[in-house]
Amino acid sequence: MADELVNLTIDAVPVSVPKGTLVIEAAKQAGVLVPHYCYHPGLPVAGVCRMCLVEIEKAPKLQIACATQVAEGMVVRTQSAPAKQGRMGVLELLLINHPLDCPICDQAGECELQDFTFQEGRPATRYSPDYAKRFNPVEDFGPDVLYVPNRCILCTRCVRFMEDVAQEPVLNVSERGDRAYIGIHPEGRLDHPWAGNVVDLCPVGSLLSKDFLHKARAWELDKTASICTGCSQGCNVTLDTRDNVVVRVRPRPNLEINRYFICDHGRMNYRWMNRGDRIEAPLVQRDGELHATDWDEACERVATSLRGAGGRAVVLVSPRASTEALFLARELFTGLDWTGAFQVVMGEEAPLAGVPNLALRAERAPNAKGAELLGYTRHYAAALAAAEGAAIVLVLDEPDLVVRTTGTLIYAGSVLPEGARAAAVVLPIANVAEEDGTFVNRDGRAQRYFQAKPAPGMARPAWWVLSELAAAAGRGERIGSADEAHERLTASVDGLRGLVSA
Amino acid sequence: MDIGYWKLLMGYPHKPHPRETVVLSKHFGDADARTYKGWVKRGGYEVLAQALAMEPAKVIDIVKESGLRGRGGAGFPTGLKWSFMPKEKKKPHYLCVNADESEPGTFKDREIMRWTPHALLEGSAIAAHAIQAEVVYIYIRGEFTEPWTVMERALAEANATKVFGGIKIFLHRGAGAYICGEETALMNSIEGKRGNPRIKPPFPAAAGVFGMPTTINNVETLAAVPPILKQGAAWYKGLSLSSPKSTGTKLFSVCGHVQKPGNYEVTMGFPLKDLLYELCGGMRAGRTLKACIPGGSSVPILNREETESCLLDYEGVVEKGSMLGSGGVIVFDDTTDMVYQIMRLARFYAHESCAQCTQCREGTAWTTKILERILAGQGKMADLDLLLDLSENMTGKTICVLSDSCAAPVVSGIKRFKSEFEDYIAGRRKPVMVA
Amino acid sequence: MSVTAHPTPAGTEAYEPVFTAAVLDQLGEILARYPTKQAALLPALWIVQRARGWISDRNMAEVAEVLGLTPAYVKGVVTFYTMYHQHPVGRHFVQVCTTSPCNICGAEAVAKAFLETTGAKELGATSPDGKWTVIEVECLGACGFATPVLVDDDFIESVTPERVPELVRKYK
Repeated sequence: MADELVNLTIDAVPVSVPKGTLVIEAAKQAGVLVPHYCYHPGLPVAGVCRMCLVEIEKAPKLQIACATQVAEGMVVRTQSAPAKQGRMGVLELLLINHPLDCPICDQAGECELQDFTFQEGRPATRYSPDYAKRFNPVEDFGPDVLYVPNRCILCTRCVRFMEDVAQEPVLNVSERGDRAYIGIHPEGRLDHPWAGNVVDLCPVGSLLSKDFLHKARAWELDKTASICTGCSQGCNVTLDTRDNVVVRVRPRPNLEINRYFICDHGRMNYRWMNRGDRIEAPLVQRDGELHATDWDEACERVATSLRGAGGRAVVLVSPRASTEALFLARELFTGLDWTGAFQVVMGEEAPLAGVPNLALRAERAPNAKGAELLGYTRHYAAALAAAEGAAIVLVLDEPDLVVRTTGTLIYAGSVLPEGARAAAVVLPIANVAEEDGTFVNRDGRAQRYFQAKPAPGMARPAWWVLSELAAAAGRGERIGSADEAHERLTASVDGLRGLVSA
Repeated sequence: MDIGYWKLLMGYPHKPHPRETVVLSKHFGDADARTYKGWVKRGGYEVLAQALAMEPAKVIDIVKESGLRGRGGAGFPTGLKWSFMPKEKKKPHYLCVNADESEPGTFKDREIMRWTPHALLEGSAIAAHAIQAEVVYIYIRGEFTEPWTVMERALAEANATKVFGGIKIFLHRGAGAYICGEETALMNSIEGKRGNPRIKPPFPAAAGVFGMPTTINNVETLAAVPPILKQGAAWYKGLSLSSPKSTGTKLFSVCGHVQKPGNYEVTMGFPLKDLLYELCGGMRAGRTLKACIPGGSSVPILNREETESCLLDYEGVVEKGSMLGSGGVIVFDDTTDMVYQIMRLARFYAHESCAQCTQCREGTAWTTKILERILAGQGKMADLDLLLDLSENMTGKTICVLSDSCAAPVVSGIKRFKSEFEDYIAGRRKPVMVA
Repeated sequence: MSVTAHPTPAGTEAYEPVFTAAVLDQLGEILARYPTKQAALLPALWIVQRARGWISDRNMAEVAEVLGLTPAYVKGVVTFYTMYHQHPVGRHFVQVCTTSPCNICGAEAVAKAFLETTGAKELGATSPDGKWTVIEVECLGACGFATPVLVDDDFIESVTPERVPELVRKYK
């Protein structure tokens, strides 16, 4: 049943929204962003910053858009003189105790106080320089969070996140009046597994990530939509890169998976994407040593083994590989006695109490479900045993590799583990930040991720490498793009058929 | 605490002036009225028994008919407020009694509690019955140590007689926060939270303390309920000298520069001039009236002419540009430094701001700083416009009215006593160093 | 006068709980008045302050434990209410109202008289003998009896600077 719709106009734009919608959300539908600080769609409404003041016809005074529900026939004006005056007043007051230290503030460039002040603040303050500004020392709140109280505007997003979403109230508002600040008990630490979200939620540079501290200016960052590889939850993230180095992972809203949040494990799980010890060229075994070569020779070497092969093929894959690569690693061996397997690193489950079905999952791999859909099993030990007598063994980016085989060992990976030194051919592939691909999360949702930086040297996405091998061996057609690989995948696999990229 | 001991500490009220109409203050100063037996001897708890036998709706009708309005400051019709509670009871209902009297200039609820605790208990029980509440919390500010002791004793005595039927009454002690007199902040404080006002809706009658339907009434309002039930709505209405919208009697707390400060109970519509010059004995010797705040520090300041022509009822005070508020009358004579006193009031609000809303948290403190600078002789003429503009920013834009309350004395003060500000700014007046 | 050479790290010194069996019984009676445990927070903090004279971080953690709250939550509440002492105070705690109505009746002189008579030198500081702490407070709600003063739990009305020495003598 459709929700009952309410019709109203916002800055003369008519909109229809479900009953109960807040004016601030309805305004988004009219293409209007009402400036705000304390409001956040993922948190309970506080209505304290008073920034989202708007004029509503027939209301005797200005109303806050974040706490006012729509009503039939409502006429909202966000740009009327009283509304703008009211918001300008709030901005002026927020700034009287705020230091003008934007040049050294990590938030500069993505600071809502900067943005809205630029948009509709006063050109100059009337707060006399004779008056002292509020001063409190920087505090170390937890493993990754610093609190700079002087910049704090007391929007309480962080307090509400810890109280209502994490449900572990380790932050508070301390004192009152203009002496107030965000406090923590001396015996407490902001070390909840999801605590890092307070940094994202902070609209100013008051809560800072130690990991990101002074690493980059916001305007130097390139942003790419991606999927977190930290576990099987499939949280949507943005990879922030500076000069082709991933410097930060932040949540990307997806109401059905991670809402607005990611856990600290996922947030910190990016350094390996920047590893310097990468395989940068295909390698082939010659005189008991691996030698760099070009793709043609490498592919030909594999094709030769494949052409002659009969009997058993064993494919050991990483559950971090793209579904496209997993699919092609199966297709490559059509007609052979194929065994595919993967292993998953397990850890502690860490739920986010206030959001149903959201947790750092015990299974620390983003694509185990994708691997299962394609017929890979968790019988890794059995597959290792089978590998011993197999004709050909392909390993796809599994760094914990201890495989013995009398057949041909082919290793496709981003780095070269000790166990891969015995491989006949080593094929350099891109990592998750360097390719487009698809992961299937624990609930069976297929989600695409995109390339954030170039792969080093001659490394190529695994889908490309595998399609080249198939073409060279006469076992399939060349695939020209990641999208084509994705289409091949969705057209051929039952569980993914007809899937639209999300 | 031993009664004999705090008898020494407590100031006794004045004898009623012939022009007072004593309803609530009839037994002020009469120690025997504080006991359960003494209260019953004076006809107390008779109407409670009658009320408990009545349909709740009937009680509400009588109070509606009486025209009684909230005595805490807002003046909202009491019967109407009670009628907002759900008729059909699906969840627990609560009554919260606002005894957090903290509005500068106001000290009437304290007097009711320490002289006639049973009047408050009786009125509370009747109200609880009317709104079908089984639990009553009386929220007494932490500084009120004697009213607490008196109320505690009275409650124990009354409980022993089971006079409240199934209604449970508990005292809850505040701990130093003016804002807890705001009804939603008071509920948060009872719940064990910071005393932050809540955004409305939801209104307390829908979701109040512990999320349940709740009514919050002021001490004086509830103390007026038993006499209304006893002598009838028509009697109460008939007491008023003026507007049909302002009925009954009201306790006015008069303080500052008068000969006889104290609580005076007069009927609505009583002339403020007579209150000050006759009942309170006028100004101190050789002094003249300069200004008056008629309804607690949160309402605009009146000048002498306005004060002397003002009638004390909800409408009459508004007509002069201020509000009846809590009935706390602060009187300033010609020796008063208005700039300094306005700074003190601004400082009060800056101290008491809960810190939630930007305009209040930052605005009250900034206002105080500007006023301190003017007093120090370093002000600029532009500061006056800035104060007015800042006050405009602080009015009508926040969750509660604390911010507005800070602006009220500033705006009215500049309007009526501008030359005093200018004297400081122009160096015509000796600077005051502010601690 | 003793000087602590090396302050013990927070959380390692011996802690004597406020909520012993007897006090827990008292708290139990309070808890019965409310539908939530949290609602007993203000009363519980009063119990602590009565027992210890002030409320330390460790006390807050204990209250949190007893009521199923977090220490940070309790601290947020303690710091909101000005009557809870976050630091030790003198044996007698004097609160002089100096808000406008009392101010115009000479309240600042009363506060000054207390400072001089008790030797507490400045507002908020404790006298060298540890007996007195004097503060100015905002409105005590007895404006008609200027100047009201709270000495510990005794609410004293109509205090003038002249009366102060006699009052101070009484409390010793």
